[in-house]
Amino acid sequence: MESLKPKFWKSLNQYNQKPESLEAARNEFVNGATADFDLNALPDKSRRKFLALMGASGALAATACSDYHDKGEIITYNKKPASVTYGEANYYASTLNNGTGVLIKTREGRPVKIDGNPEHPISKGKISTVEQALIMELYDPGRLRYPIKKSDSKLVLYKDEMPRSEWEKIDTQVVEKLNQAVSEGKEIAIVTHSVISPTQNKLFNDFSSKYPNTKIYSYELFSDSQRRAAWYDAYGQESLPAIKFDAADVILSFECDFLGSEGDITEQIRMFSSRRDKDNPENFNKLYQIEGNYSVTGAMSDYRIRLTPENQYDFIMSLAAEIVSKGKSALASEGLNTLLSGYNLKSFSEKNQINSKVLNELVHDIIAKGNKTLAVAGIMHPKPIHLAINLLNEVLGSIPNVYDLNTKLELQRPLSSDKEIETLISNLNSGKVGVLIHFDTNPVYHFPTDSGYKAAYTKAGTIISMVESANESCEANQYIIAVNNALESWGDFKPRTGIYSLQQPVISPIHDTRQKEAVLLNWMSSDVNAYSHDIYHKYLMSHWETDIYTQSNSATGFREYWFAALHDGIALISENSGNEALQFNINAVNFNKFSFTKQNYTLILKPSYYIGDGRYANNGWLQEVPNPVTKSVWDNYAMMSPATAKELSVTYGEDKLNRVADMVEVSVSGRTLKLPVMIQPGMADKVIVVDLGYGRTTIGEIGRNIGFNAGELMSAKGGISPWMFTGVNVSKTEGQYELVSTQEHHSLDEEFVKDFHLKRHIINEYTVPFYTEFRKKYDAAKIRLKSEFAGDEEAYKKALKSEKIHLLGHHEYKTHSITPDRVYSDVKWAMAIDLNKCTACGACVTSCNVENNIPIVGKEEVSRGRDMHWMRIDTYFSGTPDAPVTSFQPMLCQHCDNAPCENVCPVVATTHSPDGLNQMTYNRCVGTRYCANNCPYKVRRYNFFDFRNDFADGYYRQDTLELLNNPEVTVRSRGVMEKCTFCTQRIQESRTEAAKNGRKIKDGDVITACQEACPASAITFGDMNNPESPVSGLREHPLGYFVLETISVKPNVTYISRLRNIVAEENHGEH
Amino acid sequence: MSIELTHEPSVIEGRPALKTIDASIIKPMNNLPDKRFWAAMGLTLTMLGIGALALGMSFYRGLGLWGVNNPVGWGFAIINFVFWVGIGHAGTLISAILFLFRQKWRTGIARFAEGMTIFAVMTAGIFPLIHVGRPWLAGYLFPYPNQHSLWVNFTSPLLWDVFAVSTYFTVSFVFWYIGLIPDFATMRDRLANSTMVEKVKKTVYSVLSLGWRFSNRHWSHYEMMYLVLAGFATPLVLSVHTIVSFDFAVSIMPGWHTTIFPPYFVAGAVFSGFAMVQNALIIIRKVYDLEYIITLDTLEKMNKIIILTGLMVGYAYGMEFFIAWYSGHEVESFAFVNRAFGPYAWAYWIMVSCNVIAPQFFWIKKLRTNIPFMFIIAVLVNVGMWFERFVITVTSLSRDYLPSSWAYYVPTIYDIGILIGSFGWFFTLLLIFTRTMPVVSIAEVKAVVDGSQPTHHGLEHHSEEGH
Repeated sequence: MESLKPKFWKSLNQYNQKPESLEAARNEFVNGATADFDLNALPDKSRRKFLALMGASGALAATACSDYHDKGEIITYNKKPASVTYGEANYYASTLNNGTGVLIKTREGRPVKIDGNPEHPISKGKISTVEQALIMELYDPGRLRYPIKKSDSKLVLYKDEMPRSEWEKIDTQVVEKLNQAVSEGKEIAIVTHSVISPTQNKLFNDFSSKYPNTKIYSYELFSDSQRRAAWYDAYGQESLPAIKFDAADVILSFECDFLGSEGDITEQIRMFSSRRDKDNPENFNKLYQIEGNYSVTGAMSDYRIRLTPENQYDFIMSLAAEIVSKGKSALASEGLNTLLSGYNLKSFSEKNQINSKVLNELVHDIIAKGNKTLAVAGIMHPKPIHLAINLLNEVLGSIPNVYDLNTKLELQRPLSSDKEIETLISNLNSGKVGVLIHFDTNPVYHFPTDSGYKAAYTKAGTIISMVESANESCEANQYIIAVNNALESWGDFKPRTGIYSLQQPVISPIHDTRQKEAVLLNWMSSDVNAYSHDIYHKYLMSHWETDIYTQSNSATGFREYWFAALHDGIALISENSGNEALQFNINAVNFNKFSFTKQNYTLILKPSYYIGDGRYANNGWLQEVPNPVTKSVWDNYAMMSPATAKELSVTYGEDKLNRVADMVEVSVSGRTLKLPVMIQPGMADKVIVVDLGYGRTTIGEIGRNIGFNAGELMSAKGGISPWMFTGVNVSKTEGQYELVSTQEHHSLDEEFVKDFHLKRHIINEYTVPFYTEFRKKYDAAKIRLKSEFAGDEEAYKKALKSEKIHLLGHHEYKTHSITPDRVYSDVKWAMAIDLNKCTACGACVTSCNVENNIPIVGKEEVSRGRDMHWMRIDTYFSGTPDAPVTSFQPMLCQHCDNAPCENVCPVVATTHSPDGLNQMTYNRCVGTRYCANNCPYKVRRYNFFDFRNDFADGYYRQDTLELLNNPEVTVRSRGVMEKCTFCTQRIQESRTEAAKNGRKIKDGDVITACQEACPASAITFGDMNNPESPVSGLREHPLGYFVLETISVKPNVTYISRLRNIVAEENHGEH
Repeated sequence: MSIELTHEPSVIEGRPALKTIDASIIKPMNNLPDKRFWAAMGLTLTMLGIGALALGMSFYRGLGLWGVNNPVGWGFAIINFVFWVGIGHAGTLISAILFLFRQKWRTGIARFAEGMTIFAVMTAGIFPLIHVGRPWLAGYLFPYPNQHSLWVNFTSPLLWDVFAVSTYFTVSFVFWYIGLIPDFATMRDRLANSTMVEKVKKTVYSVLSLGWRFSNRHWSHYEMMYLVLAGFATPLVLSVHTIVSFDFAVSIMPGWHTTIFPPYFVAGAVFSGFAMVQNALIIIRKVYDLEYIITLDTLEKMNKIIILTGLMVGYAYGMEFFIAWYSGHEVESFAFVNRAFGPYAWAYWIMVSCNVIAPQFFWIKKLRTNIPFMFIIAVLVNVGMWFERFVITVTSLSRDYLPSSWAYYVPTIYDIGILIGSFGWFFTLLLIFTRTMPVVSIAEVKAVVDGSQPTHHGLEHHSEEGH
């Protein structure tokens, strides 16, 4: 019995083996503990009830107090859509509103970057600086968020909160007004920009048949209207053929900025640069720039002739006369001799003091190259000059060679003539216009002040502005229709013969906006309140089905065809341009001898490089890309030559503390404007050049009152051309103004600092003849050395290098290090930049800005030297103030092997990666700025403020802009150093991709943002450890050099020396 | 009148009784401050307030408030750092190196100069911490075990600074404190114990004097310790500014990357340090009636050191130019030509006239012994030495390798505010020092008074000859 007693016991009952105690021991929990939990069954004051109620009410309170409100449009990925993978970007082909084919990168449904569409025959995967930056327009906080009926004239658009209107109300009211106008016989005027969309054009036609009194006016602040008119006069063709800049061996460009601000620069840069292949110097084209301005094209030219625009007509005619007199004319026409009588090149050049050497060279070249010569005049030039150009091209016989006669630059409807615009204004004044619709246009700002449009448009019965953000034409009491951005829209564009480019939305409208075409379409429908977002989409598809698909001769059904076109973003259809048989009408040129009398000053108004006609003025990225020539940002000014400035006794930037400019008053037949002065060496004397597009007053906060509205100098009557005026008065006036630039320029006659870029071997340049000669010797040396060092690759390379240095006439710098060089056994990233191809367009800069979330800092901070661009384009001038020679150099982190920034960082925030990158660890950086001080290239950028808070009162903190950031790149905070990373996020992405495929990352896997954007393909990136890679070839190239080679930091960016296609006694690169 | 040329004149004028010495040195600590003191204190506190405000704003908004830009990443903060570290050189030089060389004239000025060293280094030490972009992470500059398992970069001169300055501060502080112990004991002993204030003071001085009893054993240990510390501090005087100069010399910037920097910086530091000691002492000796201890003769000797170091600095300026030309390196030669004739020529010529030309007046004995005149020269030397650091820091950065990245540096009111604040901080500490501790070493002065040391000729010999 004793043994049954438990050894360990909890109670006497258990010890004594009482049955109830045995029963209790069998149950693990005490009675009741496992019963179901019932809140109501619990006593009032139980602990469990208290906790349960606390928890429940806490959760309720937290939900109720949170700011989340269901906006309806936002759908979280409860079930992941098939097309979306977290962390992986989707790309959609689309088209921007100017007809450029693009590829839009979206992350989780959010567009983050715009790049070129490689399938697109014009842009070929590249887009311009401006187009890169347009992603910001989508998220611009200044965009209208809903439609407005503005009826209180006291409300200021950009200041006051505008009362929100309902679409239904506006639609009903507008349709009423439209019907009223029709019944009263009043005009319905639609003012639009140039129409390149076939479907939009059809919509206008349909709208006109629904409302018969409709008239469509289309205008552009800048257009090739003068060139078109001249073409029409000479050949009887309405539209121009595309120019093949790559087909010409010699280009004579008269004031034509085809590499900077006019035409489709992406294509033009590609074509121009394709003839600048360092390995084929014989095939180099030769650019002669004849200009009064100093454009980026002039900076890229081989020879530049300073000539005021008025004298260029005589010059062109004299050149034609010279060719004819030498019996080399390709045009045999009786009228030719009469026409050219009185023009003599010799007397012309003497009169205008043209450098005879350059002129002889020019004449020699155009006669030698004959029909491979392209003469082209800038769009600002008047019609007679374009006619003379046509004549010169005929005399040279180059029209069939240098023009792509199979391809027209298409417009769906011709731009309105000056007369038509005049009629519109007089109709407005006389109250004949019932409804005026601004179809995404800003005529109040764009039309010349003296056209009287600003006063006239308020007299229209009803004014409707369809705009993305409010502009100057929205000031009157009117309906302001908030419209979709290009990235939220459907559409099609036909920029050229046979090229149909499709636009598709990549995000649903962020705000309560509608597509402008859909709005018009809705007003045509019988029930305006039955609006649906896809009406224009359906309209577009049905137009394609009936019109475009039928032309395509496609074997597939329409739906397949449509989705294929949508996928590619482009549909190509063979069409006839009607240009093949051109008949030159020499009599067109034969009007009374055209001659401008040079009076006083000449004014040229030109489009700004980056903000165009002012519509991009609110895009901070574009305001902050430096002008490629003057390097100034956030402003426009009166550019003039040093001699002109002296004559006017005005100065710019004399004071070191502030880059202040004197003010001048420019007046053209009574229209005056005060402007700051920018002195630009190389301009023709007595020529003033001003950029248009600045001085916007009604726009988002970034672009408001930036610069000066030079449009006020324009006239409805025009000058020599709408953009060129002679007999202009310029005088110094009171006051000074601070102009800000990202680069300090020194006067070219300042001996103290002259030609440093050459003396320090920052820029190496040679001439084509020198290089051709060098290449012969070098190739011979290669063969000789190869046999000499047969088998010993290292010794061969070394000998070849010293041979190269010897042949180029350089010194060899030997440096010794006490530490062994680091070995990079796997891939090692390197870049090469071909200075022959780079035209300083800035696409790389903007692409880098967008890719790497680089903040805008504003004018004031740039003036203090705090611009944040990781990639910049340095501009250097050499030569004389009259004939400066410009050199451009894209500059970015050189990722030096012996990076001087790395050893001085006390906290190891900047280090070297095993694949050769100089990398920044933002988290670790405390901001001593020692690395930036010790960087010889000064490419490191410091966050002096939190620019996201500090710029324009927290501009970046506004809700929509947060969507803009690239999620792959850290947003840097204040006090942190940053710089180019060689797009390390792209390298990582490719590495992950390669690892998924079970291989190692290799050359060609990574394309950096700058490389991707460069229209000239001047940038090569890749693995220098792979001997087959293009970049390692370029590192070994005889023209390759490193900037500041002597300090032995061992950069990984190779520059390819620029070859100038000039005949020079001395080699430019030698000093 | 016959002068015995083999005999050094006494460093203490007259032959004050030991009691008098005690009384006159201790007087400021026993009396309540007068109006002049409060006026001075008010001024320095105002300056300190301006600095605090400017610094507070900089912390709140960011370093963008300063004038620093791209390419000039270092501005006033680093200039001030180097300047104040330089000021901190005189004290330890006077108390350690001159002690080892048995320069008795140092006795009157050593304590004060040491104190100045401490405060100057305290001022200087602020700048490396506030000049960083994220001062709240300045702790990253110190090698301490942390969860990030990150360590500092021992190749960076900025890190060497951290060690150089902190070592220098520690050793100087210990040296200063050891010297103060006998004086604290004297003060303790001279205080009555009647009032509450006296009780508190007595307690404080008792604690600080570490039980000093003036015993022979104490003196013997003290002398040995002092000698050892002097020997220990001597190389530090040379090393700290050498290492500060490495901030520049180790970089690859033209105008910074030169081997002359270490000796040149040390000479410059001693130069400016002496000038600052000179300035402060001229006022102190007058206000606190210590003219018989800090004699004109002492001031003259300091002036001689100012000429010497001024010449060394001038030599360095010339040598820099010579080497820049001799190197044949275009960028390097331009850096120096640009200093003298570029946009910052004004700063360069202020520097040259204050540092090289101004001290030359001291060759003339009349000027060297003229107190107002030497005061002005010393002020000029300080201005010049501040500008020397400005010239070195700013001109090289503003125009370095790529002309595309050149820019002009302009300080803002925040920079100037912080500079003013640093003077406010330094002088506030100095003023508190003069009212709480003996500015002249009581014990050491007693030891150099005529007749306090045994001679071969008996106790009374000097007084008969000299007086």
